[in-house]
Amino acid sequence: MPKTVSVGTLESSDCMMTIKPHHTTVITIHTVVHEAFYDHIKQTIDKMIAAHNLKNVHVICEDKGALDYTIRARLKTAIERYKDIIHG
Amino acid sequence: MARSYLFIPGNVPRMLQNMDVFDADAVIIDFEDAVSLTDKDEARHLTQLFLRDHLPPSLDIYVRINSDAQLMKDDLIALETLDIQGIVLPKCDQDTLKEYEASQANFRVIGIIETPQGMIEVEKTAMHPCIDGLILGAEDLKKEMGFTRSSQTLYYPRQRLLYAAKAANIKAIDTPFTHLDESGLSEDACEAAALGYESKCAIHPNQVPTINQLFLPSEADLMAALKIVKKHEQTNSMRFSLDGKMIDKPVIDAAKQLIEKSKRYGVKGVL
Repeated sequence: MPKTVSVGTLESSDCMMTIKPHHTTVITIHTVVHEAFYDHIKQTIDKMIAAHNLKNVHVICEDKGALDYTIRARLKTAIERYKDIIHG
Repeated sequence: MARSYLFIPGNVPRMLQNMDVFDADAVIIDFEDAVSLTDKDEARHLTQLFLRDHLPPSLDIYVRINSDAQLMKDDLIALETLDIQGIVLPKCDQDTLKEYEASQANFRVIGIIETPQGMIEVEKTAMHPCIDGLILGAEDLKKEMGFTRSSQTLYYPRQRLLYAAKAANIKAIDTPFTHLDESGLSEDACEAAALGYESKCAIHPNQVPTINQLFLPSEADLMAALKIVKKHEQTNSMRFSLDGKMIDKPVIDAAKQLIEKSKRYGVKGVL
């Protein structure tokens, strides 16, 4: 079974959150609002993966102008699905 | 009292964020048909966080959950702390209501009557203590019964649901019109309104203005209602004649309701 999960879409106001295994924890963010919101998105992702004790993953966020709740919701779903795959 | 109930998918941020700009009186966030089986969790998380952070004021919000037992349970857990008007229960009949009761959720319920079983139990369902309203789901009913949709084939289910709802003093909401042509929608909504329906579901924001307009009392009806209530107040009588017609309590009550609805939705040029 592939150990990569992707949640969300690339439509306006949405984001696609992908999580895959990695030898360290890495976060990559592509956002249409880079200057204004990159740090905030990074902080949100950092906090959530720490809260879920997720390590050794590559989190990729493709943001199309998503609000904070959307980023949190997509990441929450992705984390739960990833854990399901990893832990069975 | 709402005229339009707009379905929006629970998994599309753009639609959730704009729910209050479509002018619908009520919104039904959909976890069922608009969300594929593999995306139910996405819809739950997105809707939950949206409603926690951005609950639009002064808009009646419902969520259509799934009728499958496990999905229903997961849907209700996701909704349990949210301040919504209620849930919409698809394929509503005595069995799905029992399933809902077993969940011990406390939401008010609007049931969608869309199966033959649901239709033959509609009177009992309407009287159920958690039920606030009923929606006719003509498309699923059509599929199950094998009829083609027309005003003739919808006449019986519309009437039966309406009588059940009126007898139980709950809302009766007409089935969505699934084509996007405006004249067809107007005709369909007028047929429902003529039977006594006061509201209708919309499946696209473009349907909302037509529905809102058609389920608004006309200026002529409002003028007549105002005249009735005025004479009732002047004479302090529950039975009198006006413009050649006998007026009594049910007519006065209906006139008051019509005035209240007109005030809420601002019937032009009169109030």
